[in-house]
Amino acid sequence: MQSANMLLRKIVRNSVLPFAAQHGMKKDSFQLSRTLSLSLCLKLDKSCEPSEKLDLDEWKKVMKSGLQEEVSETVSEPKELSSLAAARETLEMWRLAGRAVPEKISEEQLKTFMECPSKSAKKKYLKYLHIKELYKKNEKRKMDEKRERRLEAQDEASKTDETKKSSFVCLWSSTMDKAYNWRAAQSMIFGQPLVFDMSYEKEMSVREVANTVRQLVLSESCNRRSVDPFHIHFCNFKDDSLYQREFIKHYREAWDKLLITVTDQCYTEIFPKDKLIYLTADSPKVMKTFDHDKIYIVGSMVDKSIKTGVSLARAKRLGLETAALPLEKYLLWSTGAKNLTLDQMMHILLTLKDTADWKKALEFVPKRKYCGFVNKPVKDLKKTLDLINTLKLGKAREEVEKKLARNYPKK
Amino acid sequence: VLPPEKPLQAEEWNKLREDFQLPEIFEEVMLNSMIRCNSPIDVAKSLLTHLAKRDGDIAYNVLVKYLTLCVQQGQVSEIRDVYDIMKVRFKILESGAYNLLIKGLSNSDQWRMALTLLEEIKKVMIPSRTCYESCIKAASHHQEMKLAFELYNEMMAKGVVPTLDVLQSFFYFSRGMNGAELQKELFGILLYLRENQIYPHKTFMRSIKLWFESIPGGNWRGRLTKIKDSGQCPVCNHQLEDSNLTEEEYSNLSERIIRDVIHGTDTFRKTSPKEFEAFQTFVESRLPFDIVIDGLNVSHIKSRKMQCENLFDAVNCLAKENARLLVLGRKHMLTNSSNWKREIMKEMQNKADFFFAENISEDDAFLLYATLRSGKHCKFVTRDFLRDHKACLSDSVTRHLFRKWQRGHQISKNKCFSSVFSQQPPFHYDCVVQTTGDKWHIPYKDVFEEKYSYQVPRKWLCIQQK
Repeated sequence: MQSANMLLRKIVRNSVLPFAAQHGMKKDSFQLSRTLSLSLCLKLDKSCEPSEKLDLDEWKKVMKSGLQEEVSETVSEPKELSSLAAARETLEMWRLAGRAVPEKISEEQLKTFMECPSKSAKKKYLKYLHIKELYKKNEKRKMDEKRERRLEAQDEASKTDETKKSSFVCLWSSTMDKAYNWRAAQSMIFGQPLVFDMSYEKEMSVREVANTVRQLVLSESCNRRSVDPFHIHFCNFKDDSLYQREFIKHYREAWDKLLITVTDQCYTEIFPKDKLIYLTADSPKVMKTFDHDKIYIVGSMVDKSIKTGVSLARAKRLGLETAALPLEKYLLWSTGAKNLTLDQMMHILLTLKDTADWKKALEFVPKRKYCGFVNKPVKDLKKTLDLINTLKLGKAREEVEKKLARNYPKK
Repeated sequence: VLPPEKPLQAEEWNKLREDFQLPEIFEEVMLNSMIRCNSPIDVAKSLLTHLAKRDGDIAYNVLVKYLTLCVQQGQVSEIRDVYDIMKVRFKILESGAYNLLIKGLSNSDQWRMALTLLEEIKKVMIPSRTCYESCIKAASHHQEMKLAFELYNEMMAKGVVPTLDVLQSFFYFSRGMNGAELQKELFGILLYLRENQIYPHKTFMRSIKLWFESIPGGNWRGRLTKIKDSGQCPVCNHQLEDSNLTEEEYSNLSERIIRDVIHGTDTFRKTSPKEFEAFQTFVESRLPFDIVIDGLNVSHIKSRKMQCENLFDAVNCLAKENARLLVLGRKHMLTNSSNWKREIMKEMQNKADFFFAENISEDDAFLLYATLRSGKHCKFVTRDFLRDHKACLSDSVTRHLFRKWQRGHQISKNKCFSSVFSQQPPFHYDCVVQTTGDKWHIPYKDVFEEKYSYQVPRKWLCIQQK
């Protein structure tokens, strides 16, 4: 490869001189052709003359030449841009410069963009839109591919012309729906209540509320599909709240037919106080077992801007018992906050209810957050670790023994 | 990819492109590496020419990359050409290109063009800090101080925060110039440093010193010094401003601490109304204290000792000076355990007042309240930097007040538990730029000195008029 390059270079160098004279002439003819316009003829022009002296500023001419016509068109346009149009222009330029900016942006999004308080907020919002756009595009591409494959499969099937024999009519999804709804209806009468506290709207941004509702929708669906669903209560739910608007976006007409209880009352008004347990990661108490007679409360809050103690404060105010999941006890925690998403909580609680098996339940904690399960309690593990360390570091051993003797004189 | 050393012909570019793994981004990658290697501009030109001939157009991002190379090498005429092309080709440009253009032009004799560009940017967006800075530097470099200050004031009015670098350039380029207006503006910058508790670095300090000394007929003389612990300047014997807050500042700060730190959005988050009320009556009935101790924090000073022994040592050591002590702790300290011996706790309670908060309450908030309530003489002991509490305060003015108060009132280094605390002893003087008209005292830090936000510089520039 390299030798070929070298050869090429040599040829170029050698050929520069003889062609220099010719070059001047070429330039003239080139300018003539430019008045007619454009690069297409340039390209043709080039291809028949492989090696010619380089005119390094030729690109400028090309750029300017293509423009003269455009300029004459745009001159009549009014120069002043409205702020919206200006923002749109700026976005377009950013996109050309290769920044993370969506290709299409709606008027509403553009307004949100302009209302962002800072530069970094603007950047973040644009990146969010950009990624969303990418997702949508990918989704669409996949759907198209799928459709094509399905059509092909249909063609094939019609060729082979095989008749299926089965005693069931193929009505899977609607039958399943009926079965699920039946169970959910049963849970409305006999099921163990599970409360979602919907009083955190003020603590959250619009994005966070949207995320919360998404997680709640996921929770509801996984509850509906379970063998023994909870009776879900949305308490402190205000009509015409941001929560409600988001829910309607997700469920549409189905919102009124959901088999859950939605109320603006507080849980303390519906249930006896001594039965309530507020689940919060900030609680000093750790949950030992799942109690089938208690009513657990989960705060419907996505907290991206670390506001610690918000739900604990709520429980304290109402004088409720609190509990945290025994994450430390069963998992060797590595990174990430101890607060889990609402659907993860739902999965964990459902599994606990059915099996009372902590290990199985805590499988739903995201894998990135922990290194592994602990068989023994962590305290024991630490003791063994200390022991191993003291045995390893022989010289430090005496010191440790001394320390032990001082701290625990009786032993 | 290494860029070629000499301009290439179209075929050669084509060949290179074909050999490249991802031909779609070949031009971008190539230009990036040209920028990195600072290749001759002709090589880049040949690539552009090749592109122009092939496509009849050159993409915006490629032009910007080329512009970067031109700016890097200070090719002014080239920068102008690119600008002309961009201007006809696109209605407006984005901030990256504007930054480059202004940076490139302001370093040349065509710096006035940078100013017209700045005007152009203002039509569509707020110019970036680097744009303003390039223009300001260009103006002051050409002795147009009035223009430079106009730009500076405009930038401040738009909420664009200047770097120390640009502030320094004002002093650097104003040397030897006369004019009351100019002096007023430069004093304004010094006051800006004061208000925002900014400390200039050594080179900046030198520019300030030289400027003062160069004022015609000013008779200023500056010397470097270290201020004594008493707050006296060894050079001019001037006593620096003391670190106490004024009455108004003090009451303002206590109010804000109660409102923002203790109550915040919900009193239940850090304590409960009932507990806070109990604490308030407890404190009011025993006021004033001389020293308030964060019991749990102090009890962890030496990890080898039992926790209550650590606290015991600290209380003993502070009690000797006949001071009224208040120790804040949590209820779990009262239950007899391996770390908290009941007898020792009892003995301590004879020497100091104790308040035990609930185990899930935050005792730091109580610490702040009790100290502030006791008055200006009261100090507090903790190793904690209290950053999270400072962060609860909603505006920067109060945060600065908090820092100032903290510097004057936090004890963390003491004879009896020395070497453990890393913070500085409380200061009796305020560590900010200050003046009495004929004297200026300016704290500064060494250029490469690592300074934590809680530390203040120990070196000072003393300037006085003879």
